[in-house]
Amino acid sequence: MRAVLVKATRDIRRRKLQAAVVFVTTLLAVCTATMALTLIAQTKDAYQSAFAAQRGAHLQVTFDGHTDPGLLAGTGRTIGAVASGGPYRTADVQFQSAGHKYAAVAVGRDDPDGDVEQLRVVAGRWPARAGELALTRSFTDINHISVGDQLKVTSVPDKPVLTVVAEVIDIDEARADIASVQRAWVVDSSVPALADPASSSYLMTYRFAQDPTTAQLKTATDALRAAVPAGAITRSVNYLFIRSIFDVSDQVLVSVLIAFSVFALAATAAIVANLVTGIVISSYREIGIMKAVGFTPLQVVGVFELQIVIPAAAACVAGIPLGTLFTQPLLADSSRSLGLAYQPTFSIPLDLLALAGALAIAATAALLPALRAGRLRPAVVIANSMAPVGRSGRWLRAVASRARLPRPVVLGLGDAVARPVRTLLTLLAILVGVATFIVAVGLTRSFDGIYNYEGHDATVDAVVNKSPALSDAAAVQLITSQPETSQVVAQTSTNVAVPGIADPVYTAVFRGDSAALGYQVVAGRWISGPGEVVAPKGLLQDAHLKVGDTFRATFRASGLPLRVVGEVYDFQGGPGGHELMVDWSTMAAVDPNLEPETYLVTLKPGSNAGAYVSRLAAAQPDLLDVHVNSSATTSGVGPINGALFAIAAVLALIAGGSIFNTMLLNTRERVRDTATLKALGMSPRQVIGMVVASAAFLAVIGGLAAVPAGLGLNRLLFDIVGSVGGDDVPPAAYGAFAPWELIAIALAGVAVALAAALLPGRWAARANVVEALRAE
Amino acid sequence: MSELVRLTDVTKVYQGGITGALNGVSLSVDRGEFTAIMGPSGSGKSTLLNLIAGLDRPTSGAVSVGGVDLTTLGEAGLARFRRDQVGFVFQFFYLLPNLTALENVLIPAQLKGSAASARALELMRTLGIDDVADRFPARLSGGQQQRVAIARALINSPTLLLADEPTGALDTQSGEQVMELLGRLHRNGQTILLVTHDAKLATRHAARVITVMDGKVADDARLETIERAAPDVIRVRGEEAAR
Repeated sequence: MRAVLVKATRDIRRRKLQAAVVFVTTLLAVCTATMALTLIAQTKDAYQSAFAAQRGAHLQVTFDGHTDPGLLAGTGRTIGAVASGGPYRTADVQFQSAGHKYAAVAVGRDDPDGDVEQLRVVAGRWPARAGELALTRSFTDINHISVGDQLKVTSVPDKPVLTVVAEVIDIDEARADIASVQRAWVVDSSVPALADPASSSYLMTYRFAQDPTTAQLKTATDALRAAVPAGAITRSVNYLFIRSIFDVSDQVLVSVLIAFSVFALAATAAIVANLVTGIVISSYREIGIMKAVGFTPLQVVGVFELQIVIPAAAACVAGIPLGTLFTQPLLADSSRSLGLAYQPTFSIPLDLLALAGALAIAATAALLPALRAGRLRPAVVIANSMAPVGRSGRWLRAVASRARLPRPVVLGLGDAVARPVRTLLTLLAILVGVATFIVAVGLTRSFDGIYNYEGHDATVDAVVNKSPALSDAAAVQLITSQPETSQVVAQTSTNVAVPGIADPVYTAVFRGDSAALGYQVVAGRWISGPGEVVAPKGLLQDAHLKVGDTFRATFRASGLPLRVVGEVYDFQGGPGGHELMVDWSTMAAVDPNLEPETYLVTLKPGSNAGAYVSRLAAAQPDLLDVHVNSSATTSGVGPINGALFAIAAVLALIAGGSIFNTMLLNTRERVRDTATLKALGMSPRQVIGMVVASAAFLAVIGGLAAVPAGLGLNRLLFDIVGSVGGDDVPPAAYGAFAPWELIAIALAGVAVALAAALLPGRWAARANVVEALRAE
Repeated sequence: MSELVRLTDVTKVYQGGITGALNGVSLSVDRGEFTAIMGPSGSGKSTLLNLIAGLDRPTSGAVSVGGVDLTTLGEAGLARFRRDQVGFVFQFFYLLPNLTALENVLIPAQLKGSAASARALELMRTLGIDDVADRFPARLSGGQQQRVAIARALINSPTLLLADEPTGALDTQSGEQVMELLGRLHRNGQTILLVTHDAKLATRHAARVITVMDGKVADDARLETIERAAPDVIRVRGEEAAR
């Protein structure tokens, strides 16, 4: 054993570069894998801990403001909840701070504690009197509001001013960067003064003995619906949805990290197998001598295995702590958003799993060529000293010769495929690298595309949010009187009960030419009149509806006959795609007093949107919130995009490393041939050209295969993301790349390959002919 | 006859300064000469050939071939020089194993950018290896491989043909055939510089025998007839052996 160890460690010293390639690729792969494993283990636990600690609500239901609060107070028992909170009076409010306007749901609550939904005050103190307000910390963070700031309420004519006295963590609502409307808590008695009485509701929170399933939640909601007057429930949301929102960034990040760490490990395995094959081929005589002096076949295998396992183990020793370290900011962010104290987190069992996994992959990849070395017959390899040279490149050389390519290029192309296994392993690594890059860029673009699409970036120039204190007619008059205004679509949202769906369904209501907003219809057509509705796949599936079906919804306790005319793509709609889109006339038939919340304005071509927005905002500084329409990617997606690019860079490095490794093996293996060619008059430039041509060929083939593979994978992942939102993704949404960009990516892959091949090429060009030939 | 090769006070010291060194060697070779360089192992004869071929650079002194000072050329210039002016035949042939015999012969011409298939086939016919043109080196005998190497060396019509122990890896009969071939080329006007340790083989064909010992030219015999030359050279070899 000692002899095996001594020989292996000496070989590592002799082949420092190859050991470095194993070290770097394993380091990158194991680092990514550790990040994924650490995130998986910690993120879900963090939410569960916070949910338990704050006695989060399993079910939150909003009731119409006319419902008897005494009746609501007893509904906890009715549905089998062990605890309930409320009824809390709520109202939709708008307020203004430092020139910015915000929408919120004011909740009247005198005590942050209770049996359900305990609110954790992380700054200041709970509101004690009228004129005081508590906000979520995520809201104050992204809007730069602090305890002590004053906010002017603009949703009522009196415009009262409230002082922020607390920042709280609410485990039962999504972060402000995901849910645009947050809760704001005031003392119960002050709610009526903050909003139009027509907008007031009651909020009830329920907690069950154990975490209920979706079916149990539906049963509870049905029981609740039966216990209150028809149409009293206007909205409900359960803990599963809230948890999925909390987890969504981490889940996507974890999925991406897992997928890419698998890619990275696969690429590492390909590189290791390639490397060991090359070492065995170049060590024929040495293997013969080892056997001649008494190494058993198993010991020979051990020598080659150790040459890989030792640098791989060193990479794990460095990579696992690094991966754990890089995960900490993400975990800290996750903990902070849940109101938990961040503690450095790591898991020894998971670290050991990463260590064992990486070593097993490296050792397995090295095993086959090592076994080959173990089986070689000593007399034969000592006598021959050189491995038989692959001849698989002859057909390619013939094709290249017929194309009248320069001879060095012809020779290089032949070398590229001379060893089929090496060629395949190199192509695999290139394919993984380029495909990952395409997926990373494609997903990033897709995320951006979703936000641009949802925000109507292409069709809407300005967004006007109206305070309830301003009449619809006045707002429309003001907007349409502007000379730049080309088209206005008014929008509001409400909730409608749909047969077969437990929770009231979020419903977007449009007035005007809503088709111009550009919603993508996956099947059927867009709404064109009263009684017509479009919905995402999630709702159609869960309500057992299809395009062409009719059903009877309930709105404001009245029956509402609807006909499904199309399936729409709307990623940001209701949970699981539970959303309806209807024309104003449909809802106005039941509720003539429906008021728009927002006006989506399209300007005439050439208009200055900034000037338009400033002028309109100045006309009604308190009652209109006007801004240029721009859907910047939310902060929830930012870290995912960052991680995608980082991993793409890692995989690109690995792919480059693979090319470098293959070229290094090829040039070393062909050192005598290259010396002969130089003796025959091949110039240094021609030598470099030969090596580079070899690399370029592999890169082009790998790149060409990677483009469809990357696009396919991108489509698959985008479909998965779409299915999370309950959507069928329309074909137009897949077009993340223009053809020229795909060509550019493939060319970039070639450029990386050329750069990686340049060094071995230069070494080959500079090698001393006399020494190379004398060594034979 | 005009001078083709000139070495002026050439010294070559390898790292360590012991093996294969040349110490102040000066000599010249005329066009059309068939010169044999002889000497014991480590005497510096292969180093001398490598310097003339532009495969190596002298530590000091000058090497010029055809009036071109090789010490002034860069790597690319030396490569062009080897391609255009020199044909090199190695002891172990050094055929590229993944190319056929014909492809091996064509390589220097293709590096130069010229199409020379007809000439390659003609050369192979002349050397009696046209029937193995499509075979890979591993399927050729040693003699056939060396003849392929000679054809490869001649494909660009070099001014100077250098042969380093061209019979060293061959059996006697194949060796004779190769030397016969070189003699024929010489008679057709080819300048040849041959390194060999076989005195009889050298004197049978070369008109001049330079003996190198310990990095210096120990003897430079211009032979009018083979009969006169042989005893002289054999005498030198005998003295070497005695030392």
